[in-house]
Amino acid sequence: MSVAIKIENVVKRFGKDTVINGLSLDIKPGEFFTLLGPSGCGKTTLLRMIIGFNSIDSGRILIDGKVVNDIPTNKRNMGMVFQNYAIFPHMSVKDNIAFGLKNRKVPKDEIEKRVDEILKIVKIDHLKNRMPQKLSGGQQQRIALARAIVIHPEVLLMDEPLSNLDAKLRVEMRNAIKQIQRQVGITTIYVTHDQEEALAVSDRIAVMNAGVIQQVDTPKNIYQRPANVFVSTFIGLSNILDGILESNDNGKASVRIGSYRFQMNNIIRDCAANCPVKVSVRPEEFIINRETQEGIPVTVKSSVFLGVDTHYFVETQEGQEIEVIQNSDLEELIPDGARIHLKVQTHKINVFNEDGSKSLIDREVRA
Amino acid sequence: MTDSRKKLNMWLVLAFAILVLFLIFVVYPPALVLYKSVLMEDGTISFDYFVKFFSKKYYWSTLLNSFKVTIVSTLVSAILGLIMAFVLRSVKIRGSGMLNILIVISYLSPPFIGAYAWVTLLGRNGFITRILNAVFNTHLNGIYGFSGIVLAFSMQSFPLVYMYISGALKNMDNSLNEAAESLGCTVFQRVRKIIVPLVMPSLLASSLLVFMRVFSDFGTPMLIGEGYKTFPVLLYSEFMGEVNTDDHYAAALCVIVITITLVLFFLQKYIGNRLTYSMSALKPMEAKKVTGLRNILAHAFVYLVVTVAALPQLTVIVTSFLQTRGASYTGKITLENYRNILMPKNVSTITNTYLFGLSAILLVVVLGILISYLTVRKKSFLTAALDTLTMFPYIIPGSVLGISFLYAFNKKPLLLSGTAIIIIIALCIRRMPYTIRSSTAIIGQISQSVEEAAISLGSTERKTFLRITVPMMMSGVLSGAIMSWITLISELSSSIILYTSKTQTLTVAIYVEVIRSNFGNAAAYSAILTLTSILSLLLFFKLSGKNDISV
Repeated sequence: MSVAIKIENVVKRFGKDTVINGLSLDIKPGEFFTLLGPSGCGKTTLLRMIIGFNSIDSGRILIDGKVVNDIPTNKRNMGMVFQNYAIFPHMSVKDNIAFGLKNRKVPKDEIEKRVDEILKIVKIDHLKNRMPQKLSGGQQQRIALARAIVIHPEVLLMDEPLSNLDAKLRVEMRNAIKQIQRQVGITTIYVTHDQEEALAVSDRIAVMNAGVIQQVDTPKNIYQRPANVFVSTFIGLSNILDGILESNDNGKASVRIGSYRFQMNNIIRDCAANCPVKVSVRPEEFIINRETQEGIPVTVKSSVFLGVDTHYFVETQEGQEIEVIQNSDLEELIPDGARIHLKVQTHKINVFNEDGSKSLIDREVRA
Repeated sequence: MTDSRKKLNMWLVLAFAILVLFLIFVVYPPALVLYKSVLMEDGTISFDYFVKFFSKKYYWSTLLNSFKVTIVSTLVSAILGLIMAFVLRSVKIRGSGMLNILIVISYLSPPFIGAYAWVTLLGRNGFITRILNAVFNTHLNGIYGFSGIVLAFSMQSFPLVYMYISGALKNMDNSLNEAAESLGCTVFQRVRKIIVPLVMPSLLASSLLVFMRVFSDFGTPMLIGEGYKTFPVLLYSEFMGEVNTDDHYAAALCVIVITITLVLFFLQKYIGNRLTYSMSALKPMEAKKVTGLRNILAHAFVYLVVTVAALPQLTVIVTSFLQTRGASYTGKITLENYRNILMPKNVSTITNTYLFGLSAILLVVVLGILISYLTVRKKSFLTAALDTLTMFPYIIPGSVLGISFLYAFNKKPLLLSGTAIIIIIALCIRRMPYTIRSSTAIIGQISQSVEEAAISLGSTERKTFLRITVPMMMSGVLSGAIMSWITLISELSSSIILYTSKTQTLTVAIYVEVIRSNFGNAAAYSAILTLTSILSLLLFFKLSGKNDISV
């Protein structure tokens, strides 16, 4: 029953600006698919092209193999959840949810049945006859969700649905959304700029920047094996260090950062040796070395104790600032001004080509 | 795409139809006036009529007179309104809720009723004049001319300034005061450096509004001015007078007055754009209880001003129950006046007022919703043109509108003069800019995603507009409509020019009865009008859940 969505080379221009230039995506049936990117990257524009609020200047969008370019929004059979909920303030909860069903000329008793059913799924059956204005943000969002899925849409679209909620409710609602999506099994496209939210709910994520898809992958791969420097710095925190790929013998490579040299066994085989690279190290992928001289020599500038972890802000001899995260242990914090050495967990870190556009990690090899 | 293009066309056709209507009723009549003003009897084009106006003192002195009364009345209104707003916002005054309503009512009643009520009180034969003459053995001749006009205008106009300033003070967070105080400001420094600059935009905006209203009002100087002739009076007599009426000369006068209001309009826009602060108070200023002399002075001042402002309304209601012989009162209490105006089978004056007012409101609300929707949601060159045109009536004084309508619609195929339709359209046009401005603000507050949600749920664009957008606008539009209704039933300046015996309204009847010195009938008509306004105002308060209005 779930449908696939195929986006082929779509282009969107606003006046002279080309916001999206030849973007393609394949979304699998029943998938919870997230468009993630900084604001202004074109993710909402793409979503509005899929539902039909924005026209498609070139290219095609196919739902279940059917081109929808020329189908008006009100005939596309897609449900949408808006950032500001867009609840009709002059209608009761029940009438809000029944609105789409009435437009589809569904018989009255079936409307009643389907409304009751969906109210139970989103857990607001006790609010059925209330007016929406006095309800909380979380409750309004549940109405919006119910209203969008009660029409049995082929596709469910969500545009930053949680950004108006407070932090605690956001976590609660994102779990609810994920669970409800599983339960009804609709192919879902979810737009957010919040990476944690994206990682938490998605089956797959497309990271977008400046109208271009940077990487489409599972949350785990997006975080651990980013396709380029943009993804590695946009998702989570990464320290980008200049290095040299000194030798590469069938993937067994030697990488040097300043005077610190280490071996890696998961560099792609046909990558030429003796060239500058970007080494991306997440703060938790450093090992602090206080015993020997091995590692990148740095000076501790300050530290923050956060319970589970301790963050160190350090500076290299070249003046680059690096953040390091260590599990807190019982020993004293390293004092400010201390000179230490940083080693890296070679199997976790990522290496990119010099301009950061391409990963040099061979994902087939278990490091 | 075909389907959505069809939808677009529906709005396009609508925009086009409204534009055509506007061209006929808003653009064409003033354009005709402009043309007539330079067209000589022999068919040549020249500025002779303007030369005539500016070369004879009898003519140009009216303009001078108008400026004199307008400037003085505006100043008095501004000062009174400012002080009243300060006092009522900062000092706890007993019965301030009721005082507020009285102030609003005195603003909403037509200024010429004030003029005639002041004549009843302070005229040659007025109640107060007679008492003063008897007590002090003097021969006061009553308040006419300059001082009478200024009195009537100021007492009727200061409430507008008051409402603006009061609104601005309400939006001013008290923490601004507290911040200034903590930074070492004394009370007077605080008023001078913080409060006055912050309410300045409202003060200027409201003063200019008062200026425009007073400048183009014709009923007041007509009734209380006697020999003191202002420009609108000249315009009226040149157009309607019994002798020597000259259409072309009247047209030239219309052009002069439009030019002046146009300049004022741009001045107001310029000042309004330069001097606005957006403030929203989390903790508004609170009226504090004061004690001793300050308390007594504050109460005395506020009560005095409100009493004087409400006196005309009170006079009208009281005198409507007094027996009259022409312009003098016999001293007997009677229902005769009401019998006179209600007993004849023909009560069309009253029914006309309601009918015309309601029709105009209906028309203006429907058009207002459509036009504001078009200009906000369907932006295009066409709707932008429409938006500009809708502000046009704002600068056209009522009497000029009336005159231009008679010029434009007195022959076929647009023979409308003498009909009810022409009055309804005129009323509708006079209220159009205000209605559209408020509807535009209301639509601007409705998030577009609500409409998109409806569309995504399978609703057509038309259905979305009717079922979602319009109902969401309704509460705001409705309270605006009531205010428009109150304004329209007290409209005189265009109705007085457009009416015939069949299309007479309450305001026209009051004016005519006063001119004929049938003060009893005038009072009874006025009482009905005032009562209608008060009831409508109470309805407005109930519907909008507020007890102040913004204009």
